[in-house]
Amino acid sequence: MSPAIKGKKGTFSRLRLPVARGYSFPASRNPLLWVGALLVSVVMSFILYDIGLRGGGALSNGPLSSSHAVLESDCGSCHSEGKTMAASCSGCHEKFGDELGVYTLAAHYVYRSQDLQRVHIEDAEPDCMDCHVEHEGREAPLTRVAELECVGCHEFASFNSGHPQFEPLANGQPERGGLAFAHIQHIREVMKIEELTDVEQSCLYCHRPRPDGTSFEPLDFEAHCDSCHLTTAGATPFLPVAAAGVTGVSTLSTIQLEGRPGTEWALFTNPNEFRQRGPRVMKTPLHHEDPWVMENLRRLRGLLYEDLGLTDLLRTTPDVAPHQIRVLYEEAIAALEAQALGLRSRPEPEVQQDLERITELLAALSRKLEDPYADLDETRFLLDLQRRAGLADETVTATEEVIDALTEACRKCHSIEKAGIRRVETDQRVLRRAHFDHRAHILQVRCLECHNQIPIGDLAGGQEAIDKSVDNSAILNLAGIETCQQCHNPKLTSDRCVTCHYFHPNKSQRSNLLLYVDTE
Amino acid sequence: MPPSRRSGQGNAWGVAYGVGAATLMLAAALYGMRRRTMRIAIRMGLGTARSWLYLHIYGGSLFLVLMLMHSGFRLPRGTTTGWLWGLSLWTVASGLLGLALQQWIPRVLGSALSVEVLYERIPELVDEVRAKAESCVASCSEPVKRLYAARLAPTFEGPRRRWIYFADVTGGIQSHLKDLHYLKGLTSAEEQEKLTELAALYEAKLELDAHYTLQLPLRCWLYSHVPLSLVLVAFLVLHVFAVLYY
Repeated sequence: MSPAIKGKKGTFSRLRLPVARGYSFPASRNPLLWVGALLVSVVMSFILYDIGLRGGGALSNGPLSSSHAVLESDCGSCHSEGKTMAASCSGCHEKFGDELGVYTLAAHYVYRSQDLQRVHIEDAEPDCMDCHVEHEGREAPLTRVAELECVGCHEFASFNSGHPQFEPLANGQPERGGLAFAHIQHIREVMKIEELTDVEQSCLYCHRPRPDGTSFEPLDFEAHCDSCHLTTAGATPFLPVAAAGVTGVSTLSTIQLEGRPGTEWALFTNPNEFRQRGPRVMKTPLHHEDPWVMENLRRLRGLLYEDLGLTDLLRTTPDVAPHQIRVLYEEAIAALEAQALGLRSRPEPEVQQDLERITELLAALSRKLEDPYADLDETRFLLDLQRRAGLADETVTATEEVIDALTEACRKCHSIEKAGIRRVETDQRVLRRAHFDHRAHILQVRCLECHNQIPIGDLAGGQEAIDKSVDNSAILNLAGIETCQQCHNPKLTSDRCVTCHYFHPNKSQRSNLLLYVDTE
Repeated sequence: MPPSRRSGQGNAWGVAYGVGAATLMLAAALYGMRRRTMRIAIRMGLGTARSWLYLHIYGGSLFLVLMLMHSGFRLPRGTTTGWLWGLSLWTVASGLLGLALQQWIPRVLGSALSVEVLYERIPELVDEVRAKAESCVASCSEPVKRLYAARLAPTFEGPRRRWIYFADVTGGIQSHLKDLHYLKGLTSAEEQEKLTELAALYEAKLELDAHYTLQLPLRCWLYSHVPLSLVLVAFLVLHVFAVLYY
């Protein structure tokens, strides 16, 4: 400040400008607060108006997806006091008091494996909204779940980084085909008979697509094999007839006379199909699953092994994958129902007692099968069959010789295991944990580009004999997960978890529509 | 089952980000209250103004980061959340703008100008300068009077804001003084002194104009920051209410 004085206060700068006569108060900042308060009032008024007259949509985090749009103006339908969001979801989506629940973590553990042992009830149940984020707009895909939600539990980064090999190919698991089948040999025959030029057309001769195109119908003898195999020329060799001290087969008349449960077919079988030469008998023609062959095989099995249990009700060996145990129960129930049907018209007291036992067993098995949470006890089928004690070696050898002769025609395709025909995997869907859609792939790649482990394309056109280790019945016939990763990678096409996997079970597989109807 | 790993609203991490952001926002808002209750704050030992300012600046910036993490770096779709998101950006951006202005303008004004004045006194000082200029010109020759009337008088009429000060704080003063310097070479020694004084007054007027122009944003940016930050707090309260209630 200049030392010069002007009035009482003085001057400043070389121009001697006057210093302020009094203290210059800075401008009040109250207008800032007034403007702010005014704006806040406007906002609060709008919110109160919205809550009062428009249902409070302004407080929403965003529009609901189109599936839930009808609930837009009723926040309380999902957000209600004392009720978790997951409970609100279940209110509509699980209206049947399902003990396991369709959308629970437990159901996720069980639905593919069918293994109740995998349920860990101590695991915290995740909220529906952890994966399905709402209020993201009408077009927001609720089912499009972030990869992070999956890899949080599954310990690999992505489909292309650490994803385990497909289960049927992992750890050198044996093929479950159960059939001695040469793919290339059959393709050659089909191409010749049907005059086909395209190898892949001959694949579709047996592998017939289901209507939805995702997979194929189960293989069926009558549809696919009957025209060439077991024609009228099919016959057993002459087999010894069972008698005192002789191991052999039972004749049709013996079976008719004994009238055991499940042998009603004998009453309707043409006796002219049998030829007897002294103490030996043969049958021609032979049919697929020929009841006379199957009955004698069952009887011979009973000579070798004790306590067949429920295995005796099955047509083939009970070696199924853990997720198919239900099939064993269904087969046993069908066998018991057939037996019960045959016995109902017979008045003998001992037959009625048999019928009572069968009915009880039938009810027990049915109850077990109808309960989706029942732990199906496969040990009742998968018995480790024990040879009868004290059986002479000669008897065993003689019995096995009769079995071999009896099943001579069967063994062209089937293998015999413990006096039973080995089960055939007719439903060839092997990727159980994922959904594979053949129709979605066939436009981009041909069958043999993926199913390339049997060199069908290279050898189908030739005539040379092919080693059985090369030309086999492998179901998957796939190199492995690497085949899929060639296309399903970040550079080409989707490799997201939900492209192939679903978290929740398919509801249609485990409950009927009645369970969804609110009966209250 | 581990917690969801998506960063967003619906999981533990998202909630933690939200709580952190809300806490920082309220802490930053307390700075305004601290300014209004300075005496009480000093008496209670609630920290220096500098530490509160640092909390306001750094806390406010971190709030924005946490808010974006809370929203999963996505645009919200709801009305309240949309306003909350937009106002958060606006408030932090206007705060950073104010910080930049406060760092830049005082430094420029202090280093390039010879006069330091309070914004509120500028009109009064301009009047004083004009009176001095008119008094000076009154005793000058006719050419000087004509020059003053034609070129300088409009400038002395009152404080004027000009955009040029944001680019050049001197406002291109040398080009404006060119005519006076030219005239100085054609006049008597006595008049040359008056022209020198007139040039100094003209320079002072332009410096006052520079203050008048550049000090305005220092005062006005608060209007873009404070009222809307109050609205932001209101929206935060609504958001917390909606989350807890629903």
